[in-house]
Amino acid sequence: MGRLFNQMTRGKKKLFAVSALMVMGCLLLLPIFLSITAVAAGGGAPAGGPPADVVAAQKAEGEEGEAEKVEMGRDVYYKTEGPAIGMPAPVTEDNETFYPRYNFESRVLLWVANQQHLYYGSFVLAVPIFCMCIEFAGMVSKDKAMAKKYDQLAYDFIKISLTAYSLTAILGGILIFTFLTLYPAFFGYLSSIFRPVMHIYALTFVAESATLYIYYYGWDKMREGVLKWVHLSMSVILNVIGTVLMFLANSWIAFMMSPAGVDEQGRYLGNIWHVLHTALWNPLNVHRILGNMAFGGGVVAAYAAYRFLSSKTDEERAHYDWMGYIAMSLGVAFLIPLPFAGYWLMREVYAYRQQMGITLMGGLLAWLFIIQATMIGILFLTTNYYLWQALGRMTGGERFQKYIKYLVFILVVGLLVFITPHTIVMTPAELKAMGGQQHPVLGNYGVMSAKNGGINAIIMTTVLSFIWYQRGNRVPTVSWAKFGNIFMGCFFLIGQLNNIWLACYGYFIPANVRIGLSVPQVAGTLSCLLLMTPLNLAMLKNGRQLGPIRWGQIPPRSQYAIIMLATAFTWMMGLMGYIRSSVRLFWHVNEVMRDNSPWAYTHTIGFAANVISFNVLFFWISIMFVFWLGTLGAKKVPVPSPAGQPVPSPQSATGH
Amino acid sequence: MTWLKLVEGYMPMQMITELAICILVFSIINYSLKRAGMGLPKFWAGIFVWCFVNLFYLKYRIYPPIPFSVRAIYGTVAACGIFMWVSGSQQEWEEFKRPIINVLDAKTGMTKFIRTALLILLPIGLWGFAYNSFLPSFDEPIELRTVHPAPPATTKVHGKTYVLQTAANPYRVNPEGKYDQAYSNAHIVSQDMGRLMKDVKNPEDNPWDPNAKGYIKHVREGGEIFFQNCHFCHGDNLNGRGLWAFAFNPIPANFTDAGTIAQLQETFVFWRVAKGGIGLPGEGFPWASVMPPWEQHLTVDEIWKVIMFEYWHTGYYPRTWE
Repeated sequence: MGRLFNQMTRGKKKLFAVSALMVMGCLLLLPIFLSITAVAAGGGAPAGGPPADVVAAQKAEGEEGEAEKVEMGRDVYYKTEGPAIGMPAPVTEDNETFYPRYNFESRVLLWVANQQHLYYGSFVLAVPIFCMCIEFAGMVSKDKAMAKKYDQLAYDFIKISLTAYSLTAILGGILIFTFLTLYPAFFGYLSSIFRPVMHIYALTFVAESATLYIYYYGWDKMREGVLKWVHLSMSVILNVIGTVLMFLANSWIAFMMSPAGVDEQGRYLGNIWHVLHTALWNPLNVHRILGNMAFGGGVVAAYAAYRFLSSKTDEERAHYDWMGYIAMSLGVAFLIPLPFAGYWLMREVYAYRQQMGITLMGGLLAWLFIIQATMIGILFLTTNYYLWQALGRMTGGERFQKYIKYLVFILVVGLLVFITPHTIVMTPAELKAMGGQQHPVLGNYGVMSAKNGGINAIIMTTVLSFIWYQRGNRVPTVSWAKFGNIFMGCFFLIGQLNNIWLACYGYFIPANVRIGLSVPQVAGTLSCLLLMTPLNLAMLKNGRQLGPIRWGQIPPRSQYAIIMLATAFTWMMGLMGYIRSSVRLFWHVNEVMRDNSPWAYTHTIGFAANVISFNVLFFWISIMFVFWLGTLGAKKVPVPSPAGQPVPSPQSATGH
Repeated sequence: MTWLKLVEGYMPMQMITELAICILVFSIINYSLKRAGMGLPKFWAGIFVWCFVNLFYLKYRIYPPIPFSVRAIYGTVAACGIFMWVSGSQQEWEEFKRPIINVLDAKTGMTKFIRTALLILLPIGLWGFAYNSFLPSFDEPIELRTVHPAPPATTKVHGKTYVLQTAANPYRVNPEGKYDQAYSNAHIVSQDMGRLMKDVKNPEDNPWDPNAKGYIKHVREGGEIFFQNCHFCHGDNLNGRGLWAFAFNPIPANFTDAGTIAQLQETFVFWRVAKGGIGLPGEGFPWASVMPPWEQHLTVDEIWKVIMFEYWHTGYYPRTWE
């Protein structure tokens, strides 16, 4: 009887806890619902103009014959008519009123503040997504020891991001102060346009913080049974809020590049959805989600690499080797679709404004794109290199290492094509010797058709390296193994041939058809990834194991490769942010609000590269500080290792 | 290496294929030597491959010569690739490092000599590099020229404003007189027509046919304008090798190259022809173009026709977004 009573009490407690968490979750999601309602209603308070009820009253009066009181405007993008209820964009002049300044270039100050906030913002938005995936993997894992390991790893991840979260908020504050201090007119205008969603953004930030803290501090309390699922649901809520937060922030930069919802004078026309949903908003959203994930994976992997290299014991090395591998795999999983998302974004940029696209890809900023291509190449080459090194820690991995040279050839040729510039830097003497601006051989590598072929060849090779890695210490024993191997080989071969053929064919067809060719090229590459990887896993199921993975026994070169990967991510993010921002040239808001500050010119490539490098250095120094903070509270409690995979956890979530 | 031709139209793939064959042959030779117990050490194999690709193949095989900046990029990537190859596995990395370690350890007379020589030669080499860097150069400075500056949203020619994103060539029409890019694409010049088009029976394909009308007739009219005004610089094959071409620096644009008009919207070309070098935007620094603003010499119709001829003759299609 007593036991039954106890069980009932425990059940009630659980029920109460679940109910309380659900209420809490609903409250946290309230701002999002509110924002959706506000957006669906077409706006809330109008920007820089009278409130909605006044507008409605004016409209009603208009119906009674006094319509001339509300001036109508035409949306610069949607071409719809609407009441011009906002103030026009301010026409600024180069003076202290519009552009207060220190004795330094305001644009660079803003650039640094913005970039640092963005780095940390990306990191703290990406890591909870990883945590969600890893925690889920742990929960569904049948192997108890592995489940524990995954859970610990997810906890380690979120712990790193917690300190970074505070820094993100601080940097956000610095960014707003920089805007208010140095660009008051522009910031005033932008906040007048986005006024209906500004507070929603702030509320979403509060909801994000609250969820994150509950998620982190509730880890131990909610580690068993139903509560664990509730805990996982918290991570889902956390990520939903984080994504909404990012979408709102993206809408500001998308508005600056491709304004909508305003007329030619920049007057708000009463439809906040138009202001949010500009031509480039969605491509930017997709690109940023993937970019954040790849970046977050890279940073966590670098953390693991740093801990690996500074480890004193084999156990530590094993743990951080494993952690680095997981983080890098997650990062690379999102890196692979990133070029395709980037391609979509550029396509939309061209569709929005041809001159913007040409400035980016063929004109003023084209050389920066070559640097970007080089960074992308470094990312993929480094990933391959890491996987090849990782083969060395598996018995049987040496079977594949002798073929590395052939993969190197494909990767190098693909990269050479991918980074060949269209506008070649040369002396006048070289120009004369070449007989013109275009080289008859290399000129063909400088255009999109060849570059698509190059990057797809690189990605396909990376997929192949990954499949080799999966097979490192295992041999398929299924009855159809031979057929499977032949099929897989043919699939990759046909995929590459298809890719090369389409890259060549692209020169003989109209541009609009050529752009469409990227679809079968990408389809070939994604097929290799999405079909061959599961096929490989199916073949390896119950396969013969040649030996355990010797975690921790990987050359230090691999860890330097991971650090290089993370640095390349950081540098590329800084570069692409600069490109995206500077494509507006002398506009604060493209074609609506002109930048009349003394810094409304495009920097030289060298100067831009120096500022980007400074940002990268600053970020890495500060994140090292965050990493160091993360180690302060660590308590080392040994966790039993799963059989065959001696990977200990250096610390337990218990007791934090 | 002029005896081995680079075949026009296939040059990019030919280059990659040749490199692949060379690397394969080296692999086979090295494998055979290894079997015979005389394999080339990894260190020297790596250096040999890099030297072959950068100091021989790219420098002497490819013609016209590749500018140094591109060779530097290729050389760096090739070096990275070779590093990845020689350090792909721990065993290979140890093998690659061995000669370097031997020289640093200097346990034999020969390695001691090499180490001493390197200690003397390296500073001298660095000194020479530094000296050369500071030596005043009389070469013309490098110009990072933007070949395709971004066009404006609109351009005004002969009093009429054209929106570059949406404007269309009024002469690119089908027999019904409607704008039809697919129709004109189907009737551009092709290799099998022959230079004089004697064998082309269809008047829709041959601009010299007296019965030609519509699109193909406008192409002929464009050709006449081209040969009256443009071919002196852009050449009678439209390859930028006109009679006056080499008086200019840079020489005029080569329309037969895949990187010029083939990459552009027709309206972009319209803007460039109408406004000429003097009408280049700030982005076009240092405005290295002597092309006259043709709006001062040609009518709008003539400009559209000559552009259409350029696309027809080169066999390229103007870029479109739909």
